[in-house]
Amino acid sequence: MRWWAAVEWIDQLIQKGLKCVDEVEVFYVVGRSISADLKQKKINLASASEDCGLGIRTIHKGRIGSSSTNDPHKWSECLDAAVASGHLATSLPWDGLPGAQAISHAPLTFDPTMKVEPASALALLEQMLEGAEEHAAEVTAGSAGLSTATVTLANSSGVHYTDSHTGVSLSLEAIHEQSTGSEFDHSSFMDKVDPFHVGERATFFAHESAGGKEISTGNYEILLSPIAYAELLGSVFIPALNGRNVHAGRSKFAQSLGEKVTDPLLSMYDDPLLPGASGSVSWDAEGMPTHRVDFIREGVLGAFAYDLKTAYRYGKTSTSSAVRGGYGGSPGIGHHNFVVDGKRSTIEDERVVYVHSVVGAHTANPMSGEFSVELSNAFWMEGGEFQEPIRSAMLSGNVFSMHNEIIGISPESRSLGSLILPSVKINKQRIIGK
Amino acid sequence: MGSITYYDLRHVTGQITHIDIDNGIFESAGTTFFNKAVLRVISNTGWGVLQIDNYQPRTGKKFDELLQKACTLSSITQEKVNLGDVSRGALAVPVMKEDPRSVSIEEKSAILAEIEKGAIHPSVVNRRANYIERIEQVEFSDSSGNEYAYEMCRSGFNVLAVASRNGNTQMGYEREHSIHGFNLRHHQDLGKKAADIAVALLDAKGAHGGKMKAILDPELAGVFAHEAVGHASEGDLIQEGNSVLKGKTGQKIGNELLTIVDDPGIHEFGFDPIDAEGVAVRRTEIIKNGIVNAFLHNRESLAAVGNGMAGHARGMPGEPPLVRMSNTFIEAGDATDSEIFEECKNGIFLKGSRGGQVDPGRGVFQFNAEYGYLVKNGECTGMVRDVSISGDILTTLHNIALCGNNRKMSPGYCGKGGQSVPVSDGAPTVLLCDAVVGGSGMD
Repeated sequence: MRWWAAVEWIDQLIQKGLKCVDEVEVFYVVGRSISADLKQKKINLASASEDCGLGIRTIHKGRIGSSSTNDPHKWSECLDAAVASGHLATSLPWDGLPGAQAISHAPLTFDPTMKVEPASALALLEQMLEGAEEHAAEVTAGSAGLSTATVTLANSSGVHYTDSHTGVSLSLEAIHEQSTGSEFDHSSFMDKVDPFHVGERATFFAHESAGGKEISTGNYEILLSPIAYAELLGSVFIPALNGRNVHAGRSKFAQSLGEKVTDPLLSMYDDPLLPGASGSVSWDAEGMPTHRVDFIREGVLGAFAYDLKTAYRYGKTSTSSAVRGGYGGSPGIGHHNFVVDGKRSTIEDERVVYVHSVVGAHTANPMSGEFSVELSNAFWMEGGEFQEPIRSAMLSGNVFSMHNEIIGISPESRSLGSLILPSVKINKQRIIGK
Repeated sequence: MGSITYYDLRHVTGQITHIDIDNGIFESAGTTFFNKAVLRVISNTGWGVLQIDNYQPRTGKKFDELLQKACTLSSITQEKVNLGDVSRGALAVPVMKEDPRSVSIEEKSAILAEIEKGAIHPSVVNRRANYIERIEQVEFSDSSGNEYAYEMCRSGFNVLAVASRNGNTQMGYEREHSIHGFNLRHHQDLGKKAADIAVALLDAKGAHGGKMKAILDPELAGVFAHEAVGHASEGDLIQEGNSVLKGKTGQKIGNELLTIVDDPGIHEFGFDPIDAEGVAVRRTEIIKNGIVNAFLHNRESLAAVGNGMAGHARGMPGEPPLVRMSNTFIEAGDATDSEIFEECKNGIFLKGSRGGQVDPGRGVFQFNAEYGYLVKNGECTGMVRDVSISGDILTTLHNIALCGNNRKMSPGYCGKGGQSVPVSDGAPTVLLCDAVVGGSGMD
């Protein structure tokens, strides 16, 4: 196999590493991508990237070292740096990297029809612009990108896995008077993105939000769109399910296992093997075979996420939740396809404040969960229809306690990167008018 | 390749050293290496850009092949890009007081551990300290024969303390980052400071939301300048029609005591000796005495929009540069702290920040304070936590009633278009009237 020949230095690296450390792990990614950017309605920039990264982890008597480089010819220096880094680490309980296991190697996030070429980006932008024509608003910026990458994970216990990924990303921004709207989409598969819809929604929100009215300060029933919900969930709630944060004392849920932490309506789980989802993967970043992890079942907290390092340290089992944000550093704890699920119902009948997105979600307090953010594209909604837009207001609350006030989740879910979320209807949320 | 009218190449190599201590355990420490380049070409119409990992410098035919690749990409562009005329010349990078490379990682680890131990307290359930040191060698050349090279080192640390009592979890967070060399020494007190704040916040109350007078400390007022004015003055957003400041040059949008500046040339954390397009960096007075004065530009937005200065192009290694802020600040006024508190009388005094965000087209911004104190009769009283302020770019600046005489800069990072660059923000203490404060306090 040509691919194998191209990376034969990986075996040399492992053999060399084993002369001075107990275990070696190699993560190697090569990829390429194409993107094109709009300035207003014209393509202003087209770019191509060729990416390459090598991450090495060494383990010796419980001391974990790591280093990375994007020059694979320098693997030997990189290995030395990883070994040196291990000398500085505190020795912790460690029970070995996984060996090779019989798992499916059929790619889960690879679309053989995807052409990573400028012409593909051009076609996507044209379709988005066509969709944008549906409403009277000016396009300010937009982007379409395609990528493909091959990832190799090898270790000294016999793992030598490769996997290929593809990705397509779209975004469009629009303005009407002093009202903005934006939309985006991402998938591993060309036929799962809808560029026309992205364009249409961007100009819809810009146009429909214009001429908004004020709202007076008070408590309201609100409907968070999957985007607004993702912004609040991702920066506060999900990190609290991370086993390392839990054992280190950085999680609100540290003492809550087995307790009710959300309304019984809700369940939350990571399903790494969900067909068609962008985060699907059959082995995690440490080579552990992936499986579903049920964090919250009908409101009750049942599990935290673990990688090997944290599991060994605290006497737990890896939940195959190791992920890498890139080739640099060590793998950490994350999720593959994080799903919020539960009993679905129509939640748009009664009059509610619909919140499309928020400004400033990253400023929420990750420990306490408290937040106060500005609303974006907020409307009164009734009978499933957008009614008067709301000009400007803040939403204040607590991401954790808010989950006890959820009174309904929508029939449809939306994929937002590695999150798969419904819209949620929430009781008694504080809105501060201006 | 006769159609290429411009190209530039920015090649950055470097290394990042980090140390991570979590509750006394050395989780990880070590060095990683990177090598990234970005080649930008204008041919016929717009930009063709190649982003190259592990770039090996090449000349002659091999370089021409890269140009041709970028040229082929640009064939799908539709908008004619023009570049503005600019000044050239690089500033000297300030000499470091102590080069971090001369300090062993063992010594760095030992000093960081002292800072982390400073956060030990009976109510503190987690302490975490990180050291980061980033050294970049930058080389630039363009088709007009401009060339420069420099080396920059940025280093610093963060320390976090998490306090917990009866299910109430709060955090204190302190950081120092610098371009002036190794800066871990003599900061052992910051671990204790983080712990003290986390513990004090256990007894703080949630603020009541509503309109009130707010005193912003220099760090928070700097974030205010960054979010309320800085982003909306970025020339690429003006060019796209995505900023409420478009067409507002010469208009008064704030109190006349208000002057807001971005200056990449001052020796703060956002310093650049020269920008990412090889343009000399200069002080740009965005707002001068309350009037919209000048936008931040790169060469393209300068040509397209005017009314401002180029020299504000910045990019992460291997990424095409965007128009970015660097060191952004509100100029000091002449009010003393006691005058500001007296004038405020009743309101809220807000300190520190976890950042903010702006929608420049809509003109709405939000920024967050880590904590604050209720002000009653000009005196600080009870502590409050997690307070945010939101505002409207075109009206809120009129409500700045007083600027103090004590400007201070704080380092941080700013994200835009998927790129994060080092910046500093600063201001004196500022009194903001009719601030829209978000808080869920109900009692």
